[in-house]
Amino acid sequence: MSMDKKIEKALRRVQKPGRYAGGEWNAVRKDWVSTDLKMAFAFPDVYEVGMSHLGLQILYGLVNRRDDALMERVFAPWPDMEEQLRKMGLPLFSLESRRPLRDFDIVGFTLQYELSFTNILNMLDLGEIPLRSADRLAEEYPLVVAGGPCAFNPEPIAAFIDAFVIGEGEEAINDLLDTYHQWRMQGENKKQLLLRLAEIDGIYVPSLYEVQYNEKGEVKSITAKAGGVPAVVKKRAVDNLNAVFYPTRQIVPAIEAVHDRAMLEVQRGCTRGCRFCQAGVIYRPVREKDPETLLQQARETLACTGWGEISLTSLSTSDYSQVRPLIEELTKRHSADRINVSLPSLRVDAFSVDLAKEVQKVRRSSLTFAPEAGTQRLRDVINKGVTENDLMEAVTSAFRGGWQAIKLYFMIGLPTETGEDLEGIAKLARRVLERGREIVKSKGRLKVTVSVSSFVPKSHTVFQWEPQDSMEELRRKQEFLRRELRGRGLFFNWHDPEGSFLEAVLSRGDRRLCDAIEAAWRKGCRFDGWSEFFNLDRWLAAFDEVGIDPEKYAYRRYDYNDTLPWDHIGAGVNKKFLARDHRRAMAGEKTPDCRGGKCPGCGLCPSLEIKPRLAGGETIAPVQDVLQ
Amino acid sequence: MPRYRMFYSKKGPARFNSHLDMVRTLERSMRRAGLPIAYSEGFNPHPRFSFAAPLPVGVEGLAEPFDVEMLEPVENNVIEEKLNAVLPDGIRVHGVATVPDNEPSLMSVLDRAKYIVHIDEEDLPFELPDSAVEDFLSLEHVEVLRKDKLRDIRPGILKIQKVQGDSGLTLNLELKAGSVINIRPEDALDALFKNAGIETDKEDFQITRTALST
Ligand code: SF4
Repeated sequence: MSMDKKIEKALRRVQKPGRYAGGEWNAVRKDWVSTDLKMAFAFPDVYEVGMSHLGLQILYGLVNRRDDALMERVFAPWPDMEEQLRKMGLPLFSLESRRPLRDFDIVGFTLQYELSFTNILNMLDLGEIPLRSADRLAEEYPLVVAGGPCAFNPEPIAAFIDAFVIGEGEEAINDLLDTYHQWRMQGENKKQLLLRLAEIDGIYVPSLYEVQYNEKGEVKSITAKAGGVPAVVKKRAVDNLNAVFYPTRQIVPAIEAVHDRAMLEVQRGCTRGCRFCQAGVIYRPVREKDPETLLQQARETLACTGWGEISLTSLSTSDYSQVRPLIEELTKRHSADRINVSLPSLRVDAFSVDLAKEVQKVRRSSLTFAPEAGTQRLRDVINKGVTENDLMEAVTSAFRGGWQAIKLYFMIGLPTETGEDLEGIAKLARRVLERGREIVKSKGRLKVTVSVSSFVPKSHTVFQWEPQDSMEELRRKQEFLRRELRGRGLFFNWHDPEGSFLEAVLSRGDRRLCDAIEAAWRKGCRFDGWSEFFNLDRWLAAFDEVGIDPEKYAYRRYDYNDTLPWDHIGAGVNKKFLARDHRRAMAGEKTPDCRGGKCPGCGLCPSLEIKPRLAGGETIAPVQDVLQ
Repeated sequence: MPRYRMFYSKKGPARFNSHLDMVRTLERSMRRAGLPIAYSEGFNPHPRFSFAAPLPVGVEGLAEPFDVEMLEPVENNVIEEKLNAVLPDGIRVHGVATVPDNEPSLMSVLDRAKYIVHIDEEDLPFELPDSAVEDFLSLEHVEVLRKDKLRDIRPGILKIQKVQGDSGLTLNLELKAGSVINIRPEDALDALFKNAGIETDKEDFQITRTALST
């Protein structure tokens, strides 16, 4: 039976065949044979999740814009599809040309969350590509690369990936393709390709580094094994976002995606400096786009896609200095076409609620705020610049504006947390509910939902040295909150601490975890980010099998002087600044937001030779590296 | 508001989209085409589309009718041209007509549907004898289990006919459709094969709806 026939047969037997069918509007299918460089964008989660991701649209547009290259998509097959593929002996194939993954020159994975790692192995395996980089030295195998936030601690999957792209991909991807092309023209071997790649800024080739461990079994040093290989790989960052490619011909998913709307990235980076937040560090410095650029891109995107909604995306859109005029102008230009503008996340203040009022004509859904911690003391420790007053003003304005449901996000298990902080969460929620009772007319509709997640220490953050709370402790805290948050109008949601535990292990792990991840995958772990599939016992059995104690990774408190498994990956932020800020955190001292014009000296701008860029033309003068 | 009836085909990758996906796709395509589609009033305005019968996931359609209202008149061939320029792979519009005001809705007049079903040779353990179709059609009752209930689908089977093809088996079917009786082609065929003592898998039926009629 031909591969095409087999695929058709498989598609007739799965629940959502549209996930694998391709052919969406703006999907690009180039001639396979005559295109020189073939790259697959591999998203280790299901179609609906992957298609909601702006990074995919950016890289897809960038590569397909080149005459000499093509990029096609492949997503993690849902278990029903995996079953069909294995049963029929079909390789995992791309959506556009239905080519097996192994037929591509380069396969690029995006690493959005640690709990997708087993899906990467599963996709390689189904794509008929050896799992380990060391087994792929023959030239017939594709080069396997990966990028995205989890590339900032690449070590737990170092054995499976040939090269990581650290930081933003817009410029790095072209360097990668050009280098690959030159290498092929020279007819060199795979090792020579890896050496060439290691010389590109922002590219980390794990096999060219050696890790040494001390007598306690901790990472002692990570050193480059060859000349020309940098000791520290610094992240790539685009200087001016107005000047880089932006995908206005976004692929419009044929089956409904999680975020099924046009995406307009208004800025990159966040200046707030929340001490737990990795995104806040790895996307620094803040780079705003000009309103003219944005209006033009919005117009093009809407015309090219037909979406009726456009989302202003960024880590904190209400911080964008021109947000109000931008929304006003977008509304003015597009309301006749029934375009809705949406804001993904709201800062906790009345200003942000005003923005929501402007864009949301119907107030049926709830408004979400993230105070993160229950007391001012703890909010100062985590540097979340939000006061109780800000929150009360925000919810008052929301209730007055017609919203009846409020969602509050908190984190439990934060460093220095006490019982008082947990009580604070419940108190805040009750205060919000009370305020709602004063304002909202139909009391029956009033709803305050508290949603808690568990703190996970992440690399390159101020809290990278901190241990995670034990699972028992987290469960006890959740139980306490559940009891406190009973009553009419109050609702409580939580994430399972088991998943957060594994996330902590994987996000601060070293290379030795590769064996555990492979063992877990062999035991059947897939889609670990999905509660219906996640199974901690299977993972624990895998750790046991390879002789690794996962608790050592999640619960370890690092010392400032310890070598961290990700010390050779440079986010641009000075480790001494992080240590100083950690001491400030423990003292309950806040660190200012550099958007206000005062640079606290995180070291990023001087080290990457880049500057924050605000659309209004205000300037922030980054201080030179005071901590050298 | 002017109403237009168009017939579209849904083939290739597009046939794997559900009916709801299809509604979204048509709406977005009309927006890309810059056609002045009318929306309903209320909280959650949606385009004023109306269909005869949803096409199940995986089934191809060759001439699926649907009506759309526009805010202002547009020439029929302009609608067709503009839309065909922006429809995704596998979806095409073939013919647009203006619908008079008093025309009843598509759904209310739908009575029957025609299908072509193909089964690959390797998916058939035996060839279906010509007599098997006659035998089957001579049955007075054909009981089929649907949602834990036995139903007699025989009155809804209007025609089954073997077609001469290259390989495998191809059949023409005409079945009752609409809100009163609606027969699924896979149910009718499954019963036919069972009656002939041939074991097949419903998932192997490659179904194309060729027409919906009154
Ligand atoms: S160096 Fe200063 S201005 Fe630049 S990102 Fe860090 S804190 Fe902000």
